[in-house]
Amino acid sequence: MSDLRDVVTQLFKSNTINVPANRKELFDRFLQDEVNKATINEIIENQNWLMARWKLEDRIADIIQQPVRMLNGTTGKPYETRFDFENLKWDDITAFQFDGLNEVGLRFDEKTKQITGVPLKSGDIKFSFKFKVKDQPDDAPFNEKLLTLIINPDPKSLWKTIESDKQDPYWKEDNATVFVPLGDRHLLASSKRGRSHANVGSFREDDFAFSELDNGWSIVVVADGAGSAKFSRKGSALACQAVVDYFKSEPSIESMKGFDGLVHDHKTNYNESTQKRVRHFIYNNLGTAAFQAHKQLEEFASQSGMALKDLSSTLIFTLFKKYDIGYALLSFGVGDCPMAVLNKRLSKVILLNWIDVGDFGGGTRFITMPEIFKNEKFASRLGFQLVDDFSYLMLMTDGIYDAKFVVEANLNNVTKWQQFLDDLQGTNDDKIKVVLDPANKDLASQFSKWMDFWSPGNHDDRTLAIVF
Amino acid sequence: MRRLPVYLLLDTSGSMTGEPIEAVKNGVQVMISSLRQNPQAIETAFISIITFDSAAKQVIPLTDLASFQMVDIKAAGTTALGEALKLVATCIDKEVAKTTAEQKGDWKPLVFIMTDGIPTDDWQIGLEEFKKRKTAYTVACAAGSSADANLLKQITDNVVSLDTADSQSIAKFFSWVSASIGVTSTKVEDGGKDVTGLGELPPPPSELNVVV
Repeated sequence: MSDLRDVVTQLFKSNTINVPANRKELFDRFLQDEVNKATINEIIENQNWLMARWKLEDRIADIIQQPVRMLNGTTGKPYETRFDFENLKWDDITAFQFDGLNEVGLRFDEKTKQITGVPLKSGDIKFSFKFKVKDQPDDAPFNEKLLTLIINPDPKSLWKTIESDKQDPYWKEDNATVFVPLGDRHLLASSKRGRSHANVGSFREDDFAFSELDNGWSIVVVADGAGSAKFSRKGSALACQAVVDYFKSEPSIESMKGFDGLVHDHKTNYNESTQKRVRHFIYNNLGTAAFQAHKQLEEFASQSGMALKDLSSTLIFTLFKKYDIGYALLSFGVGDCPMAVLNKRLSKVILLNWIDVGDFGGGTRFITMPEIFKNEKFASRLGFQLVDDFSYLMLMTDGIYDAKFVVEANLNNVTKWQQFLDDLQGTNDDKIKVVLDPANKDLASQFSKWMDFWSPGNHDDRTLAIVF
Repeated sequence: MRRLPVYLLLDTSGSMTGEPIEAVKNGVQVMISSLRQNPQAIETAFISIITFDSAAKQVIPLTDLASFQMVDIKAAGTTALGEALKLVATCIDKEVAKTTAEQKGDWKPLVFIMTDGIPTDDWQIGLEEFKKRKTAYTVACAAGSSADANLLKQITDNVVSLDTADSQSIAKFFSWVSASIGVTSTKVEDGGKDVTGLGELPPPPSELNVVV
């Protein structure tokens, strides 16, 4: 009764109808009248119904506008993000469905409360969460909450492969792989244009060369043309060729024969004098070869009307010859390309050169820089090793070194080299096995495939030469 | 993996209310979407957003592009540019990895500052802190006539100005920032060393006046 009285009093008040004290009895009778009571109850019901309807709309709007944090995904990568009704405080949802997830390879897993799956395409994926809340009739249409999922493209798919211009006077093949006998061993070498060059249709700037020599020596050369130098593709090619040509020339063939006696002396009478003779020998033979390469680049630049620095390139090379007392390895290096030799048991690694990062770090030096020949450190670029035997002699450009060794300290660590060999032999993301056996007929093609490895941040040209 | 850290210092003071702050939010979104299509940027670029009004806040720590989600920013308050400079200095210390014998550190960070007014705090103290850290380059944008390009010149040589802080100009600024980040990502990956200055970046569009 007091409910009814309150409702009517409120109604009259908001319509400026005042029930004075002297009308109280009449008012009580009014409230007890059956028809009036029925009507007042109807009014109360309607009010409640209206408020409930409003609350429902309000609640639905809350859910629709509530931000839901979902992680970004990547095409092809397994995805999951939490979509937990409890966390979202949606305990009043009675029915729901997701539209638009299946089309992109995703689904909602009710048990784990995750949106999960492997996204098939990239972009701002719009999907809808359709739902009904408590107090809605079963046949009410679904309410729709629109959501957007950000799916990143597969980074690998963003790289284009554009042909390099074959009409360019200094064009070279984008990729080169060889597997040949070399001396009493074999050479497996590959030089590949980096993705960053392929993406814009520019050239491979790395290069390599090799040769057997009539005096029993063999040589392998690797060069990394500077990215900032306009014609470094020619610079690296010329530098490699110049070194091979030098060592193939008659005077050099003769001169190098002098090492036969010297190496035996050095082994039997190891003293300051033989050391000195060895140093001079290397300086006169390899130092001169390096200088020759420099001069040829200089001449080419002047003939072609370009600046010498347009041909900038690093240059590393090693000559090896088998003697009865072991292998002699003579080397020269300028630039940040490592050369190393591993013993038979793979327990020791010897670096044949030092990584040249220039004065300020993060840079490198080039064979085109005349100052390297005048610098007192020049002699330290030349190396000599006499080893009983070796399993692998490797020369590489930073396209390989950065990706597989990362920091200089790792080059001194034989474990890292063992891991590198494991990688070559199959422990890699693409599961490509390179079987380093001379009898392996597929070796060149296996190696070429391995050389295409994906390494985030490492999209430079890459060259790797292995003597085994 | 050497990351390219990018810090965006955004003025969210009261004067940015309305069109300017919406344009900034939009600009960042468009920038992120566009960088996501750049294969080098998506690997290397990490973005952080620092807002400054009455106080400076790092609303988004250094985050890779793939995971990046822009947060809502509102404009209100004054212009604590000094605090922002101090904050980015601290963030650089904390977030940018240094090169050691065992690992290659991150590339030198890029810093982009956008402000539409005069700093209201002791900005020179913040500047001193900021100057103690090394960036590859810092660019300051004076958005509109109430900003002081000469003051910004004390923070960095690289100052650009917008005639007005309207949608179009702000959009152009962010699309130039996006192109610059893209080009820098490519250059550091290809060249193997830090980019050193504005000369290596794409030329700014006509809406951006380069302040000499």
